[in-house]
Amino acid sequence: MGSIEPFNRLVKLAARAFYDDITTKGENQPKTGRSDNRGIAVVILDALTRRQWVREEDLAKDLKLHTKQLRRTLRFFEEEKLVTRDHRKETAKGAKIYNAAVAATADGQQTGREGDEKLKMHTHSYCCLDYAQIYDVVRYRLHRMKKKLKDELESKNTVQEYICPNCSKRYTALDALRLISPYDEYFHCESCNGVLVAESDKLAAQELGDGDDNARRRRHENLKDMLTKMEEQLKPLIDQLARVKDLPVPEFGSLQAWELRANAAGRSVNGDLNANDPSKSSQGLGFGGTPMPYVGETKVEVAFSGIDQKGENVKSANSSAPMKVLPPWMIKEGMNLTKEQRGETKVETKGGSLTASELSDDKKSTTANDDAKNIQDEYVKAYYAALLMRQREQEEAVKKEQESGNAAMSNEAYNTSTERQVGMKSKREDDYEGDDNEWEEAPPTGGTTEHFKVKDLNVEAEASEDDEDDIDWEEG
Amino acid sequence: MFFHIVLERNMQLHPRHFGRDLRDKLVAKLMKDVEGTCSGRHGFIVAITGIESVGKGLIRDGTGFVTFPVKYQCVVFRPFKGEILEAVVTMVNKMGFFAEAGPVQIFVSNHLIPDDMEFQSGDIPNYTTSDGSVKIQKDSEVRLKIIGTRVDATEIFCIGTIKDDFLGVISDPGATS
Ligand SMILES: [Zn+2]
Repeated sequence: MGSIEPFNRLVKLAARAFYDDITTKGENQPKTGRSDNRGIAVVILDALTRRQWVREEDLAKDLKLHTKQLRRTLRFFEEEKLVTRDHRKETAKGAKIYNAAVAATADGQQTGREGDEKLKMHTHSYCCLDYAQIYDVVRYRLHRMKKKLKDELESKNTVQEYICPNCSKRYTALDALRLISPYDEYFHCESCNGVLVAESDKLAAQELGDGDDNARRRRHENLKDMLTKMEEQLKPLIDQLARVKDLPVPEFGSLQAWELRANAAGRSVNGDLNANDPSKSSQGLGFGGTPMPYVGETKVEVAFSGIDQKGENVKSANSSAPMKVLPPWMIKEGMNLTKEQRGETKVETKGGSLTASELSDDKKSTTANDDAKNIQDEYVKAYYAALLMRQREQEEAVKKEQESGNAAMSNEAYNTSTERQVGMKSKREDDYEGDDNEWEEAPPTGGTTEHFKVKDLNVEAEASEDDEDDIDWEEG
Repeated sequence: MFFHIVLERNMQLHPRHFGRDLRDKLVAKLMKDVEGTCSGRHGFIVAITGIESVGKGLIRDGTGFVTFPVKYQCVVFRPFKGEILEAVVTMVNKMGFFAEAGPVQIFVSNHLIPDDMEFQSGDIPNYTTSDGSVKIQKDSEVRLKIIGTRVDATEIFCIGTIKDDFLGVISDPGATS
């Protein structure tokens, strides 16, 4: 997204140039001094330059305007193609997504709106400046103004008017067919049959009795004046248009796209653990909190057990849990999806975190077979496939390092690499089911860790390097 | 501009046409009735290209005439402001000239004729450039731009200009003959 400042300046200039004296009241309302709301259009446009998508009620509250009045003005701006609006029925949950988006863009903490927890459906309207269109609209408006004046100046495209010198009745060229006479080549008045004279004066039509030349000259001067005045007074606007010309236009997209993007951005900025929105915080709990200690424990156990099969499975179980933590993947992919799909993904994500915590509680997970989660599973599979590819690469790199006997390798990196290596070998679904089974057995064996350690140390000299690492890791 | 649209009309048919060729009679009458007419809304009906449907006839009390609602496809011609047309000049006078583009009449007033063309009265009134190279008179063909339309219920009248780039005479019968 390009810099928004020049465009905001453009909006402000255009507002002052064209919408300064716009009143937006119903036709039937009396025009009293009190209800004169000229200038409010400028205020609203200025306020919109400081926002992105904004719920109209919120904007009205911020501006201390009546919602109706704001709506009327916004509708006017919509017709003028300056703003895009979106209306949707939503529950408190929908409002939350929006609130999260707002919080993300304002990079502050979410101002929890506990008030709107009710489940009623309300139609909310949102509005947003459409910068690309504003740029075009302003240019077009200027073009039309100039063209109109120039055409008048050259008396192009103007409908000729005729006037009867006797009875002052006026005609236009559109009446020509009725005015021709078969006897001469002039137009004749319908009422008195007098010969009509062309009335060459349109903008400065006041001076009637003047000679043709005089009137024409005066009109010419008027037009020229107006043209120069226009060019003079609108110069800042025209300059700003030129400045903005080659800049990328800030684009917020549709309301939904914007919300998704804003939320995703907010997430990546704030980090996983202090997430703003509900779906995220659940993830944070599920993965950031409980499972990590288990990961450490299992690793130790596996390394020493020497029972490769079992160890691998346990490890892959762990690897599957941290993998799911990564929300950016979900979100980025989700942005291309429809809203429902996205909603499903969200639910799924939550389900995933639940699964993890269930596992850590040694309970059997049931989520995998759930029909509603099939789509999610598809995504997860795709994700794992991609991840495995990357892991294979990493793993190879790690192997090389291992082979070169680099003792300085950090424990954590080492562990992760083995873990991934292992996880890569087994299929994802197998992992899942395997996990559950293994998990149940894991804690007891974990209790006897030291036995294994001793045994293995004696039996397997090969593993000694690993052992040391693991011990360090455990202690540290 | 030309449009291909579907219109509807209630056709009244005399009982003497009732028979095998009722439908043909209906279509023939429709063509006779509507082709060449003008409605302010749709423009001039140039030609009927097909019959969409003929509804159920309704016998009128007393007369025996039957009314059929007929939907038909037709080509209409509707001039618009800003449209460029080619037209044939039909009359030239001091106030400007009249031209026809098919069924549409267009008036070009003298201030929308280029300044270097002067009105010459005489047997064949015309507008001519000072060097005589371009002449507008009856039967000249001109390309013009419509700058205004007057649309009545049954009539469309246009005013045009030839005071712009690429507008003006496109052939001169005087030059060839
Ligand atoms: Zn008169």
